[in-house]
Amino acid sequence: MFPSIDRAKPGLQKLIRALRERYPYASVLAVADDSRSWFIRRSGTDIATSGHGGGTGFVLRVFDGVGCAEYSFNEFSEERIPHLLAVMEERLAEQNAALAGFAPLPTPLPADQPAALKKETAWKIHPRELGDEAIVARLRALREKALAYDERVLDAQASASYRCYRKLFLSEHRDLDQTVMWTTAAMMVMAARGEEIKMAYQPFSVLGGAEVLDQVDSGVEGVARRALELLDSQPIPPGEYECVCDPSTTGMIVHEAFGHGVEMDMFVKNRAQAREFIGQYVASPLVTMHDGSAVPEAATMFFDDEGTLTGDTVIIDQGVLKRGMCDALSAARLGTAPTGNGRRESYERKVYTRMTNTYFQGGSSTPEELIASMKDGFLLEQPSSGMEDPKNWGIQCMVTTAREIRDGKLTGKLYSPIVLTGYVPDLLKSVTMMSAAPELSGSGYCGKGYKEWVKVSDGGPYMKARIRLG
Amino acid sequence: MIERIKGALSRCGIALWRINELTEETAELFFVRKQLDTRRIKDVHKYTVTVFRDVEGDKPGRGLTSVQLLPSMEDGQLDEELRGAYYAAQFAANPHYDLPDPVQAPPVEKAGELARAPLAESAGKMARALFAPDVHEDAFINSAELFISRSAHRILSSAGTDVSYADARVSGEFVVQCTQPEDVEMYHSFRYDQLEEQALSAKAEEALTFVRDRARAQRVLKSGTYDLVLSGNQVSAVLSYYVERSAASMVYARYSTWQRGETVQGETAGEGVELTLRATAPYSAEGIPMADLPLLHGGRLLAYHGPNRFCRYLEVQPTGSYEKMSCANGSLPFAQLKQGPCLWAVDFSDFQMDAMSGHFGGEIRLAYLIEDGKVTPVTGGSVNGSILEAQKDLAFSTERYLTARYDGPYALRLRGVSVAGQ
Repeated sequence: MFPSIDRAKPGLQKLIRALRERYPYASVLAVADDSRSWFIRRSGTDIATSGHGGGTGFVLRVFDGVGCAEYSFNEFSEERIPHLLAVMEERLAEQNAALAGFAPLPTPLPADQPAALKKETAWKIHPRELGDEAIVARLRALREKALAYDERVLDAQASASYRCYRKLFLSEHRDLDQTVMWTTAAMMVMAARGEEIKMAYQPFSVLGGAEVLDQVDSGVEGVARRALELLDSQPIPPGEYECVCDPSTTGMIVHEAFGHGVEMDMFVKNRAQAREFIGQYVASPLVTMHDGSAVPEAATMFFDDEGTLTGDTVIIDQGVLKRGMCDALSAARLGTAPTGNGRRESYERKVYTRMTNTYFQGGSSTPEELIASMKDGFLLEQPSSGMEDPKNWGIQCMVTTAREIRDGKLTGKLYSPIVLTGYVPDLLKSVTMMSAAPELSGSGYCGKGYKEWVKVSDGGPYMKARIRLG
Repeated sequence: MIERIKGALSRCGIALWRINELTEETAELFFVRKQLDTRRIKDVHKYTVTVFRDVEGDKPGRGLTSVQLLPSMEDGQLDEELRGAYYAAQFAANPHYDLPDPVQAPPVEKAGELARAPLAESAGKMARALFAPDVHEDAFINSAELFISRSAHRILSSAGTDVSYADARVSGEFVVQCTQPEDVEMYHSFRYDQLEEQALSAKAEEALTFVRDRARAQRVLKSGTYDLVLSGNQVSAVLSYYVERSAASMVYARYSTWQRGETVQGETAGEGVELTLRATAPYSAEGIPMADLPLLHGGRLLAYHGPNRFCRYLEVQPTGSYEKMSCANGSLPFAQLKQGPCLWAVDFSDFQMDAMSGHFGGEIRLAYLIEDGKVTPVTGGSVNGSILEAQKDLAFSTERYLTARYDGPYALRLRGVSVAGQ
């Protein structure tokens, strides 16, 4: 697949050799991208070929006398090599002159240990082979099933997306080549209460292809039912409550509340409290947290955008913070090893430390046992948004639904929307029960602050903890 | 390349199309404190081709898909990509609509130093402006990102549109930190369409003041109902409710029931909302000439807005999609607007306005609790409000706030908003 990468490779190798004559380090990441999304909703049917796919292009990285510099472009041929070399040299010289007086951040050259691989992920049905007609027909049928559920359903949106990309990373000693495909689908149902529109949402994701559509059908009625239930919801009285988090809410806490705080580019900037807590208890001994490509989900890959091979990083081991996740530049600055978490939104953007598949390991209880153990509390479902606060470990997460639990049973009473706040270690140390099987979802994207969107998955088991709700 | 694409469209039998050509170059700087982390440059040249396909039947339809083409593609690849897009378009058919009216006009140049000066020079100037107020020991800029971009846009269509314009932007973000008495930080972003060195310095100065206050803020906020004062970006976030609800796509899908001429703010004891959508580019991505559009007057809806298809469905003149709004001045000086008792929430971890539900809120990073003539910086807790309730009594400041996406009152007071405290 993506023969343009094969055609470009000899020229890119020549470019790296030419750059190495000028700079002590040089690498190139070439990306070829194929993505498509389908949406069926009341406003119409849309097929889109852009989004957070990333696009096809190249990014060079060199170290000059000042430090790290990058050049992104999307036109390459061997004939253009002299032009690319000249642009890099001239514009860096201009920039360095304009920044006279600003000192560089000391950065050792990244390690460039020899490595070579060529791998691809598996899929059962390539969405292109299934075809637009069949995919649109499947989604239309799912939407109609949701609309037929109840006349109070205002609209139902069925969607699917895939991205298949090939990335080639070349440096003096590394030659890495991977092809990866993920596919997601989602069902959203909307119901109106006057001017207020309530929404329920169910995502699906696979490291693979259009086989994800097989999962959607069984979820349609549940989404429609939840949207209608929300019509009778009310604001929650603010307070601290015992809660059971469903796997998606656990995933949001893993990702937003804790995960961003252990992205080690934040350690370089002294922006993460976690740096001071390595080796200490930050959570209940029931909590073990992983990030990496040991699970087949939407963010699985063989190497990251800096050419670091990926694996399984244990962040929290039975409550103790073991280490963070790290990109190559931050690792060089911190004197540690990178973990394969250097990721770009696209070839046009900078690398940051980013999560991949991030989750809490399962425990030993069942979800029913968690609910039965509670006298008064809530079951939290359907996260809607979250924001990191690595410096202060503050929690800012929103979920759509809190279901009331009394004397170990769901009462049927609903509250919505719900804001989760508090101090992350307080929440994680209050965890007293975990269900056995973690569930991950990779339907969404993660931003660094308010930009730099990359594909991630997160999740965990059902989790019982004390949480401040408002 | 344009001629090659036209040739491929012709070979593929595609009669209705639009080509968007984008050339963009950037200079990007990344800092940790005042030290240079990374320098980046970018040169990209993209051709996005949208193909339309009409579908016959009882209800004639028109579908579209887009595809991105690169100069490095051979003619055979261009044909293959376009044929694939044209095939897919028939399955994305929606009720028929007319394409935008053709426009031909001379290129529109962008005035000002940002559009002319070398990118590296502009980046250097804005970097110095950002760090100019960073001269204190207790509060400082922890890290920053700065993007200078210059772009050229050309839009052509099978209907005869051929327009082009130049653009230039400065954008970025920075984090300020104060280490005593508590070690805290606050995030800020900026976006300008000129070299606004003074505005950036002033923003950094204000950010340093706020982060000092956050460092000494107390976690003493009690749960309850407050008169809430919002300022800066949170005001535009709340007002985005009116912009989203009046979008032609929302009205067409019946997610919004708003009618032009209707008082969408409802009965109000406060000020009526006065909004205008501002054109920030001479043409939309579809080649629709953009002009300022009065949206709300006294809380009454004047217009729908949005891309061609949905405006055609609603039988209104297509306006294109807007990126900026302006709001008329309020009647109260800020000092009077925030007279107690009230909670002036300055900064949130992530303030959200959900146009569908009308709910707004977020976790408070810094607020000033103003009561009995006393001002107490507070942190923690969260706001959970509904614009459907709050819009019954709004008050805006006379002071203005300007960004690339908002030009309007600096502050807004909403009565009786629920706050979850400590």
